[in-house]
Order: sequence, then structure tokens, then C-alpha cells
Amino acid sequence: MPSLLELQTDFAAALFGRPRGNLWPSVVDDRVSAPERFAVYQGSVVGNYCKALRAVYPVVERLVGERFFAHAAKAYACQVPSLHGDLNRYGAGFAAFLASFPGAAELAYLPDTARLEWAIESVFHASDAPPHNVEGLANADWAQLRFRLPRSCHLLASPWPVHRLWQLNQPGVEWDEAFDIDSGGVYLLVRRSGFEVELEPLEEGAYLLLTALAAGTALGEACERALADRPDFDVGAALQRHLLAGTFLLR
Amino acid sequence: MDTPLRRAATITRRRAAIPSRAGIGLRTPHIREILATRPNIGWVEVHSENFFCDGGQPLAYLDRIRQDYAVSLHGVGLSLGSLGPLDTEHLTCLKRLVERVEPGLISEHLSWSAVGGRHLNELLPLPYTEEALAVVCRNVHQTQEALGQPILVENISSYLRFTHSPIPEPEFIAEVTARTGCGLLLDVNNVFVSATNHGFDARAYLAAIPAAAVEEVHLAGHDRAGDLLIDTHGARVASPVWRLYQETVARLGPVPTLIEWDNDLPPLAVLVDEMRHADHLLEACHAVAA
Repeated sequence: MPSLLELQTDFAAALFGRPRGNLWPSVVDDRVSAPERFAVYQGSVVGNYCKALRAVYPVVERLVGERFFAHAAKAYACQVPSLHGDLNRYGAGFAAFLASFPGAAELAYLPDTARLEWAIESVFHASDAPPHNVEGLANADWAQLRFRLPRSCHLLASPWPVHRLWQLNQPGVEWDEAFDIDSGGVYLLVRRSGFEVELEPLEEGAYLLLTALAAGTALGEACERALADRPDFDVGAALQRHLLAGTFLLR
Repeated sequence: MDTPLRRAATITRRRAAIPSRAGIGLRTPHIREILATRPNIGWVEVHSENFFCDGGQPLAYLDRIRQDYAVSLHGVGLSLGSLGPLDTEHLTCLKRLVERVEPGLISEHLSWSAVGGRHLNELLPLPYTEEALAVVCRNVHQTQEALGQPILVENISSYLRFTHSPIPEPEFIAEVTARTGCGLLLDVNNVFVSATNHGFDARAYLAAIPAAAVEEVHLAGHDRAGDLLIDTHGARVASPVWRLYQETVARLGPVPTLIEWDNDLPPLAVLVDEMRHADHLLEACHAVAA
């Protein structure tokens, strides 16, 4: 008879479509056959993953339709192992999966839409941002200060207008016939304000500045980098705005 | 061997926190309504993993619920039936939540859901062997050590059994409670579903469980799919399950009882209605006890 580890290994492999020859002798086959009994678990495991993905990616589902979404979610469930007992963490890799999913190759904006939805989900559950801690720094050497982004703030850049696409696919929002998927990309700050998640479009300079700060670059160098790429960027106004809004915090 | 004594002390403490009344499984769509209307609900239970997050609205709402209702934490992802040490990150999240919520009861399932680092996120049945018994007991010990308090383990609904499973389920449960000092969360619907699916006598099962270890009862609805009953948590409690429940509380005395509903979640009023029916049966049993 198999050990517990062997039995569980065979069971898990069979759930995702690998041969079940090893498993059948271990399963009681009576009034209801062993394959019929096992099928209940196969259905529920994949079903749980699909349900978890649907909860996080409603816009992706709307864009591709329920049937295709279920097909993609099932493929993800079979290919991408869940590494946590907390099902809420399972969808983290869905955007990367969609980027190489054959059926979705023509929808180049889909992975970034998924990235945006995952960012919204993460920010919604992130720790509450502490109040900004830059008071009393009047005499500090500002150029050398290093900051970090709180978990309740997330930066996202896309060559696609995913912000507008997301807005147009919210419940009750009427589709805009003038919307053009090729109308250019967006830089976004996804942040929580109180309990609500807000999407704030950024100008490129502000995105470059915040990305550099998030990576631990000293303030002086981060400003220089943003200005090198965008000489017209009003760095003073952006710094003031994001310091006061608590977008970045002193490390 | 101070286990029985320790357990008696903790049971007294926890029973004071979760009343021997009926409560409901708290699901996100109902939270706002409960906060706004503060209905007369005995207590509530939440799925621990849904509050493993670091902050935001769900945790804040749970804090507010906790001010007015006793809360029980019910885990679905620890996998007490898996070999190897438990996922310490999961256990750390649970401990953090326990410290925040100070729940009246903490429970997990008598099942497995992970192997070789891969999680299956479903309550899968164990073969009832000496090996599995040792694994479950070690994991229950580890959990109780980490949390600094006893937990309850719940009997699951199952759709298949293993050919080599020599220990009867009630006996397996009795051994786990005796060896670890944990309590039993008796799910009466799960007993009915498994009894139907495997052709055993639900009443004989209920007579064989360790009655003194039962600290909580679960009730939920099931559905039929072909020749099997499925524990969908998507319907009202079935009549035969209510009868089994009535017989169970007549024997065990008043015990905290939870109405669970997860799929096709109805308006809160439906859950409250089911809860009142359970309360009504519990009151009859209180009256006899008095």
C-alpha cells in the first residue's frame, strides 16, 4: 500500500490531468465508481481557482468574455501551482501567464489590464500608509535623502490606455465609441485613500521620479534622472504634491 | 500529563467568549448591513485566510464587528493532514490575526490540501491510518504551540474513501482530540453528506464521536450531483440534517452552532432565519438542561 506522501503525490498529479493509474487501486470503487468520485475533487479544485481569479480580474473577464476567461483560468490552474494556503494570493501570476497564453496573443493590452487589476487588489488589502514623516527635515541635505513607497501605493506604466479601458469596463459605465486602444500609453499611480483605491494618471517625469525613489535612489539623483528624460518636468511641484500626499515616505 | 485539566480550564474560558447560541458565517457582502443594523446574532465566524491581509477595509470592518460580536476564526488552508512541517508563513499570519481578533474559538479541518509545496486549496480526505494519525497530531501540536492555545478540528464532507483506511473516522477523530487536547468542531451536515456518499449510518457515527470534545457545531446546506451529495454551502439546511442536529444537541447539551453559507449567498435575512431555527432547537435543549 502507498505511503501517505505517495498517495497525496498521486492524488495531486491526477487532479491536474496526469495519469491516474497509480491512484485507482487506492480509491474505493463501489456504488459510485472511483473515477466519478475523483471527478468531484477535480471539478472543485479547478473551480476554486477559477472563482478566485474571477473575483480579482473582472475587467479581464469582461474583455474576453466568460467562456474564454474560464478557459484561460483553467489553463492557469493546471500550469501554475498554488504556493499558498491562502487562495487570495493565487492570482499574482495571471498577467504574466496571459502574456504567453496562445489564445490571448492578439490582445496585447490584456496582460497590462491584468497587472492593473492585481495592483488594485494588492493596494486594497495593503497595510495602512503611515502619515508622512518628512516634517522637521528643513535643514536636512535633501539631495541625499532616500525614500520608499508604502505598500498602499503602486506604480504602473503601460503602452496601452489601460486606465481608460478599466474605467470603461466598470459596472454601469457606458462604452465610449470614440475610445481607441491605440491612443497611447499611460503612467499610473494606484493608491489607497481611506478604504478606496484611486487611479491617478501621472506625467512621465513624475513616474520616472517616483520609480527612481521607490528603487532607493537618493532624491538628488532621482530628480536629475527625471529631468534628463523630461527637461520640461516641474520637479518642485511634483515633489511637493507627492510628499504631502504621502506617496513616498522617508526610508 | 496535564492535558485534560488544561483543556477543561481553556474550555471554560472560551465558552464564555462564544455563547452556546447560534451564529452565522460572516461573508463580505453582508458586513456593511450588519455594521449598519447590528442584528441580534449570537456570534459570527470568518474564514481566517480572508483577513491575512495587512490593512484596508476588510480588517477595519472585522475590528468593528469584533466590538459588538464574539468572533470565531475558521481556517481552510493550513493543511493539518500534510507531511512535513506546516507552512510557517501561514501560521505566522494566523497568529497575527489571532492576536488582533482575540477569537473565542479557532478551528481548522481534518483534511489535507498541500503536498510537496504545492497547495490544492481544497479540503481533501485523508486515509485513516496510523501514519496519517501521527501526521495530523504532530501538526495540531505545532499549531497549538504556535498559537499558545488549543484549536478545534472539523470533520469534512468527503466524496471518496481510500481502500487502505483501517481506522473508522470517529475513532480517528477521538484519537486526535485525546492525543493533542484539541476540541472537535462537529459539522452535522458533513456527517450526513459523507454518510450518504459512503453508505454508513450517520447516527452510529454521531454516537461514536468523542462527545466531551465537541465545542462547536456547523450546519449548512448541500446539493445532489448525480449519485453523490455535495457540501455546497449553497442552500438551506436540509430536514434530515436538522433532525440529526436536534438529536445531537439533545445528547451533547447546548453548544455554539454556526450556519454556514458560501455559494449563491442569499440576503442576510435568510441566514438569520436559519440561525433562529437553530436557536429555537438550542433553547428547547437549554430548557431540558435547566
